[in-house]
Amino acid sequence: MKMIRAIVRPEKAEDVVDALAAAGYVALTKMDVVGRGKQKGIQVGSIYYDELPKVLLMLVTEDENVAEIVEIINRAAYTGNFGDGKIFVSPVEEAYTIRTGSRGL
Amino acid sequence: MKEIVAIIRPNKMTRTKEVLAALGFPALTACKVLGRGKQKGLAGEVSFPLGPELVQEEGGMRYVPKRLVSLVVEDEDVPLVVGAITKVNRTGAIGDGRVFVCPVEEAVRIRTQEQGTAAIM
Repeated sequence: MKMIRAIVRPEKAEDVVDALAAAGYVALTKMDVVGRGKQKGIQVGSIYYDELPKVLLMLVTEDENVAEIVEIINRAAYTGNFGDGKIFVSPVEEAYTIRTGSRGL
Repeated sequence: MKEIVAIIRPNKMTRTKEVLAALGFPALTACKVLGRGKQKGLAGEVSFPLGPELVQEEGGMRYVPKRLVSLVVEDEDVPLVVGAITKVNRTGAIGDGRVFVCPVEEAVRIRTQEQGTAAIM
């Protein structure tokens, strides 16, 4: 299993969620985060923003779905500008459903 | 070392913390999150009354408020912690949440620069 964490623009988050739901990946967790990338924030006129608001979407999936999900997020979150975000894929060894106590997704 | 990421009901948070502290795992990080599961967000999972338009809509709510709890423990403590979290949070109803176990390669305590096991004890 893999955990996919995508940091996307807040205004694109719902598009990404809808695109994922349309492809059958409805289960996810969303949180508001602030962060910055390689560009070290953004300078708008005389005002410098060090931390930019983003939305972090987190979902755990089987290994074989990772490529498809990354592709969906890439497509839905794309604007072509700096600040579109990043997607991280990390390993998950076990998953448990609390309601049933069963192992696996 | 393993990171245990649990997504639980917000109203079970206090009890979860108490039980984990009693077992000797007082250190954790928690975060308010929104999420949904296979059911695509069910109305009726929250304790306050919802308007009729919300209940009628397909799936009900878009997101359900949850609490994310994350703690890093030694490999041998994983079954104990997962068991404790599962036991405390189980109500049997949909929306009890999930527990994920992820590998962690290194931990450093910033104050003392201790690494590995010493950093999480």
